[in-house]
Amino acid sequence: MGAIKALAVSEGAELVRRCRAGDGAAWEEIVQNYSRRIYNLAYRFTSRSDTAEDLTQEVFVRVYRSLDQYDPKQGDLQNWLMRLARNLIIDDYRKRQRTPHDNHADDLADHSYHLHSRSNTVQQEMERRELGAQVQAGIDKLSPDLRTCVILRDIEELSYQEIVDLLRIPEGTVKSRINRGRIELAKILRRMKVVAMGES
Amino acid sequence: MLCSDFENQLTDYLDGVVDPETNRQMAEHSLRCPVCHEILSAVRSTLEACRVAPVPTPSRELEARILQRTVPESAMSCADFEDFLTDYLDGFLPAHLYHRWERHAALCDRCTELPGEVVRAIGACYSYISEEQPVPFGLNERILQATLGTVVPHEVKAPWTSRAASWLRLWLDPIVSPQLASVATMLLVSILVLTNTVSADGSISGVYNAGVQLAERTSGQSNSEVQQVTDDLKQLVEPEEQKPAAPAAPAKETTDQQKEQKPNTKSGSTRKNR
Repeated sequence: MGAIKALAVSEGAELVRRCRAGDGAAWEEIVQNYSRRIYNLAYRFTSRSDTAEDLTQEVFVRVYRSLDQYDPKQGDLQNWLMRLARNLIIDDYRKRQRTPHDNHADDLADHSYHLHSRSNTVQQEMERRELGAQVQAGIDKLSPDLRTCVILRDIEELSYQEIVDLLRIPEGTVKSRINRGRIELAKILRRMKVVAMGES
Repeated sequence: MLCSDFENQLTDYLDGVVDPETNRQMAEHSLRCPVCHEILSAVRSTLEACRVAPVPTPSRELEARILQRTVPESAMSCADFEDFLTDYLDGFLPAHLYHRWERHAALCDRCTELPGEVVRAIGACYSYISEEQPVPFGLNERILQATLGTVVPHEVKAPWTSRAASWLRLWLDPIVSPQLASVATMLLVSILVLTNTVSADGSISGVYNAGVQLAERTSGQSNSEVQQVTDDLKQLVEPEEQKPAAPAAPAKETTDQQKEQKPNTKSGSTRKNR
């Protein structure tokens, strides 16, 4: 396990080194490897595909300019990149909360979901899409603080400590927001009559 | 005994609390009267069925209800119930709160469904994790355009100096890695010690030459030692009467041996010295 991690660190460090030297192919590899994950993170916060795309692009521009700051001793490239992306996306989300006119997930219904199909039946595929859309709609209805904590904990799967470090708020507050956010989400999904997959 | 007397004393008879005389009369009557015999059997079977019948366990609500009526101050409010929900699900709720929490879950109509709903909501989030959307068409190209200024990144090549430096670093990194530092130090020290103590002129080739000379000396020495042992054995094996004639042969052998050893006079002198 340690060897795999060391390999990942050295591979990431090598990619960044090549990027710093001006190798376009290395930068393309980084973009291809991480754009999907960052786009999805941005989408969960914004609920708008066009905003999520702009945000993803902005994240990569900032990453490109910050490549000199990457230190392999601090962890592998993915951790560093996702930490940077989370910080930028959460900052952007907080800014948008202060400007409510841009705070509507108005294209939620129009957005076409391209969810992975792990089943063969059309019915299951549709149910999966429906569930994904409903979960996102439920998350959108949470207040910004609760929403941030629920996304980081239950979708990004960060530990309490990682959330504390990211949001710079006390651990008690983080736990309380996660708890409250989960309860609110549960009540919203109940009102929406959402049934988890496999229970229908 | 009359049948009515038998029926009146049946319970006492079955409990074994009648006097011996009545007991005898009851037994006799039950054997003589088929109706009373049947009644006795039926009552016995019923008592046995009652004895082995399973006792229904009270529901969790019963205990909670009793405690709520008797110790109302131990009840948990709905707000507290919600506050402790994640701790309960994570298994971090202390024992005294745990039981109060479970009692509230069992009794409160408003809260009883909530834990299940929260678990389902978390489950829905987890299934949403795996449902990642693909990168929208053209997004990667937009990113490349915004960062590299082109959508064909292979055209952007590092200058040859940077590539050479990167290549060199790639090869040098493992060599200068801390794990190999101790090995390199030991090698260096060994070379320094050998050139200063073994080599005549202080060079590595001097160490090699000294090694070759030592090998030659050792080889010559071992040959002469083998010859000596052979001679000693021959002397021991030869009979006593041949002893006067013996000096001739050894003398010849000695001459041969001396001839053989002539180039190795040095090793002979070494043995003498020893």
